Amino acid sequence: MLSKPHMRPASLPFKLSPQRKPFTDIVGLELGAGLAQGVPAVRLRKRGETVELLAAGFLDLPDALPASAEDASTAQSVTWQLPKPFRAPHAALAVTSKLSFLRHSGGTAEDAEKRPSGFRQTSRVTANDLPPLIAGLPEFQAAWAARLLPEGHPPTACSLQISAAAAMSGFSLTPSFTKAPGCIIALLVFPEYTSLAAFQERHLVLYREYPAGTAHIRNAISAEMRIDGALADDVLEDTLVDPLPIIEPVLRPLFRQVEVSVDFLSRRRNCPVSHFFISGLTAGTRYWSAIFSRMLNQALTPCQPLEGLVNAAPAAALPADLNAAEPLLMAAAGAARTVLEDE
Amino acid sequence: MRAPLHLDLLSDDERFSSSPVRLRVMAPLISILSVLVSLVWWGLIALRINTAAGLRDTLKIEIDNLKPQHETILRLIAEEKEFSASLRQLAFYRNARLAFGDTLALLPEYVPENIQFTELRVLPPPPPPPPNPKKPELRNTNSLENVTARLIGRASGENASSSVNDLLLSLRSPALTNLFRSAEIPKGAFRQDVARGGASRDTLLFEINCTCLPRRFE
Repeated sequence: MLSKPHMRPASLPFKLSPQRKPFTDIVGLELGAGLAQGVPAVRLRKRGETVELLAAGFLDLPDALPASAEDASTAQSVTWQLPKPFRAPHAALAVTSKLSFLRHSGGTAEDAEKRPSGFRQTSRVTANDLPPLIAGLPEFQAAWAARLLPEGHPPTACSLQISAAAAMSGFSLTPSFTKAPGCIIALLVFPEYTSLAAFQERHLVLYREYPAGTAHIRNAISAEMRIDGALADDVLEDTLVDPLPIIEPVLRPLFRQVEVSVDFLSRRRNCPVSHFFISGLTAGTRYWSAIFSRMLNQALTPCQPLEGLVNAAPAAALPADLNAAEPLLMAAAGAARTVLEDE
Repeated sequence: MRAPLHLDLLSDDERFSSSPVRLRVMAPLISILSVLVSLVWWGLIALRINTAAGLRDTLKIEIDNLKPQHETILRLIAEEKEFSASLRQLAFYRNARLAFGDTLALLPEYVPENIQFTELRVLPPPPPPPPNPKKPELRNTNSLENVTARLIGRASGENASSSVNDLLLSLRSPALTNLFRSAEIPKGAFRQDVARGGASRDTLLFEINCTCLPRRFE
């Protein structure tokens, strides 16, 4: 693990660990998503090998990340109180920040010197012959997020992850992933970018981010058809208008990169990709699949973030249209699922 | 299954307990309280030990000071017991005293004229049997002492034999039974006096053993 520079609060000279046993009841929260619906939240409980969904939805809480250390110091007094259905003992936080990063390390001394200062970083080796994957978040944002949930009131933070990492880890725990053999590529679509994660025999061997997300599609449709964003999503779902000519220029560079990655995996790692998954799309999945199929001559299989969970939630603890909301819960669910499975 | 992609940025200092009872606050408090309670407890024990040691020393000095007086008291108690035992023995002897005087004063009235007493003796009591080490005595058996008085005399004249017999009967009469419970002439103790020649052939010598009332040492 790389260094994690951060300020230490006043504390006892020795560490009193609040909990060391595996977590069994976790609420996942995505901070900084900036959704109109609210803060994505998913509460999961593990019973044996089964993971149950206890609550899911969007919470009306202020989740705008501080843009600077000064903002963080003024916003330090803000704390959250979660509604009762989401009041698990512990919380896994996924942070969506424009300042965060998730990438493979160059593995060289020069690369180490290029590490940004004032960032909290962590890394993990995903494959023995590859450089480790590094996640980083500005220290002031990490400290702010960690103090949102005060001590002595459930939940308290037990994990802080980058949204892209949480979503990717969550995807790696879905049945679609675990049952698919061989080499797999997953496209995790966020509003501002799309993550490409390639797995060989369950191990992450390639991670890239490309600046093409749902917001770009929505903006392209809005600009072309001169409609607002909400209506653009309706266009993607309706069959009255064919938006393919509008969104293809946006998606083509992304899928071209996927094509390059497939070629790289096939040639360099002798790993022909057999399955392609996509997750995080709120609308227009069929257009993404159509363009993908046309360009790569491969099927793009949608994968829902809550796939494989046993629904044990009362109706009141779920959004009215869970299927429609599910892609927006990708990071929150992934963060919670990752902690539950991390023994 | 271990999640290989858990890239956790949370610092250890930021992992808090959700329990309202804060362990990191309560644990030091409980530790400090435990230490304080232990110290107070040890202090109390030390104080008690110190107090007990002081009391022990004081008592020791007092005991040393009272030792001569205690020995004096013990000696006096022993003397008192000895004197009490002597007094009790004296009382026993007083109670066991036999009054021979009145009876002996009456005796001349019952003695015929031809009888002369040559000896009147109260026989000493027989010695006690030697103690048997295999069967020790479990009780005091010396509370009674048999007393025997022996009358030795001579009778002369024609009726000497009947006079001795009269004397024997007199000794058994109610007037003298206050002292003598029985009187008898032992075998061979009634004989002719041959020691002084022919002149004394009509003189008879006799002995009468009178069993007196027992002496009761009570």
